[in-house]
Amino acid sequence: MTQDQRRWYTGMLTQEDWWAVWLGLAFFFLSLVNIAGIDLVGWITYPTSWVFSPEGKKGAISGAFYALGKKYSVTAKDFYAGLGWWSVIWTYVIFTIATCIGAACMKWNLKRFFAGWTIIYFLTIACWFVGHHAFITANKMKMHKYGLNFALSLGGGGSFILALIVGLIIGNFFKGFAEFLTEAAKPEWYIKTAIVTLGVKLGYLPIKMSSMSQHLGKQAAGLTFDLFLAGCMATIVAYMIFWPGVYIIARKIFKLPRKTAAVLGSGISICGVSAAVATGGAVRARPVVSIMVSALVVVWAVIELVVLPGLFTHVWPTTNDPLVAGAAMGMSVKTDGADAAAGELMDELMRNKIEADSNGKVQWPSGIITSSAVMTKVWIDMFIGIWAFVLAMVWVYKIDRVPGETVPASEVWHRFPKFVLGYFFCWLFLLAIYFGPGKSGAPEAMPFLKSVKAGAVPIEKGMRKLFFMLTFLSLGVITDFQKLREAQFGKMVWVYFVALFLFIVPVAAIIAYLFHHGMQIPNIAQYAKP
Amino acid sequence: MKTIQFSLTHNGREWVASNRAITLSAPELEDLDAKVRKTLTEQGLVSSGEKAKVWMAFDMSTIPQWIRQYSQHYFNRVIWVNG
Repeated sequence: MTQDQRRWYTGMLTQEDWWAVWLGLAFFFLSLVNIAGIDLVGWITYPTSWVFSPEGKKGAISGAFYALGKKYSVTAKDFYAGLGWWSVIWTYVIFTIATCIGAACMKWNLKRFFAGWTIIYFLTIACWFVGHHAFITANKMKMHKYGLNFALSLGGGGSFILALIVGLIIGNFFKGFAEFLTEAAKPEWYIKTAIVTLGVKLGYLPIKMSSMSQHLGKQAAGLTFDLFLAGCMATIVAYMIFWPGVYIIARKIFKLPRKTAAVLGSGISICGVSAAVATGGAVRARPVVSIMVSALVVVWAVIELVVLPGLFTHVWPTTNDPLVAGAAMGMSVKTDGADAAAGELMDELMRNKIEADSNGKVQWPSGIITSSAVMTKVWIDMFIGIWAFVLAMVWVYKIDRVPGETVPASEVWHRFPKFVLGYFFCWLFLLAIYFGPGKSGAPEAMPFLKSVKAGAVPIEKGMRKLFFMLTFLSLGVITDFQKLREAQFGKMVWVYFVALFLFIVPVAAIIAYLFHHGMQIPNIAQYAKP
Repeated sequence: MKTIQFSLTHNGREWVASNRAITLSAPELEDLDAKVRKTLTEQGLVSSGEKAKVWMAFDMSTIPQWIRQYSQHYFNRVIWVNG
């Protein structure tokens, strides 16, 4: 393995990063077969709100899971309509095959992965089901349809919270069981796969909006570009402020050694574990330093995931500036998994809040707030390689001054987050379809765009949300709060606390405000089905 | 130009550079580099007047498996040895 690391294509079949790309792209291309009139992805399962005693057909437990092809397929609607709850099994079988192929290529213990995956999948489905009881999902606009006088208005966010709680209970109270699940509890793999499918979501947005009005479609396409550019700018500014700030806090206030401060600075301020590992390597720190910081980052990221979505939704910036909140989330929450999960949770909370607060007069399409959270994070991820390369040169040539050592430029590529390639590919591919044969949503192209939509929705909605759910549960399973109490962390826990809540989060919010304030999510209330 | 490859790990106390023929260790990278240079020249693997590139690729199995899902590359380094 070590000798192969010299080659640019190393790891394409053996690293999770690449396997997130392969999984995402495989199902994305399967979805595109819809253009030829064959629906190969309509089986992907999706939950809907339910109650024990529905008034009429709506909300029956028998319909709590359905195959997305039932709603969106152009060519096989009847077939997929017949699947109902069986879509859960179809989804299990097909994703089990796909993930087991990945696990085998990555040389994991296949038996343990299969067993762990099966348990995690069905626990996830159970959380998804329970979390979609109308008492949890419905807002005041919808609760009466289910015969309820009060509901929590959490939308799909309730399921995410439930999955995280179940995972945390396993990870902290059933540690033997958590250890057994570890082979399949891979939040980073699941979230990177979900982020690739988020690229489908981003590219699909203009197509979806075009089915409402051509103007909305163009507005959505413009908004995604705005997020792309604003996310890049905000990230550059954040890098220049965050890292030196946290480094100074760690060195001057907490008197940490130089290398530890550098690794901790990156872990807290840039991108959690991957930045801590990259920086550890760049400054030639003993691996144990990165390992300790990584353990801290994972625990703190989950705390952020629990605290920040509610804080940003109800305190500031609230629904007044949802994309500011999303971008701030992307810059604040470390680890891709926790950030994307927090963005998705906030997406649910904010959409439900705005709909309830406006009595249904304002409705936002799902996923845009998540996209703003992920976009800044993706830029941060991409910059890690460059940042670590710069840091390595500073360390090797200026600080350590090791005679005769050079820093290979290939380090930048080795640290580049490969899943980002899948994310951008899906986004740009669908945009090319939208602007090309889709004729920017012109009426004569709508039948064609409808076939694209039939394939895209199961991926961007069903597969994406399922992998988000898997992420929430897996994050909980691998998060052991005991680690915070372990003595050797000592000062580092406090550096993290002070730097995160008194420096990173406020500064992230200010930067996000500067670059994202005023960006509007299109209102689709007049097009939404009652 | 000659390139000599090593695998680099850390055993908790020392950095360890090894390949099929040679295993060397030292608490600091600078000391390790000195040992590598000395060994290569003493064993005649880098002859007098020759310049060799020594590639040290970090063995990721040193990093715990649960962390590797976040980052799958620690660092590789290059040192130059003049015979």
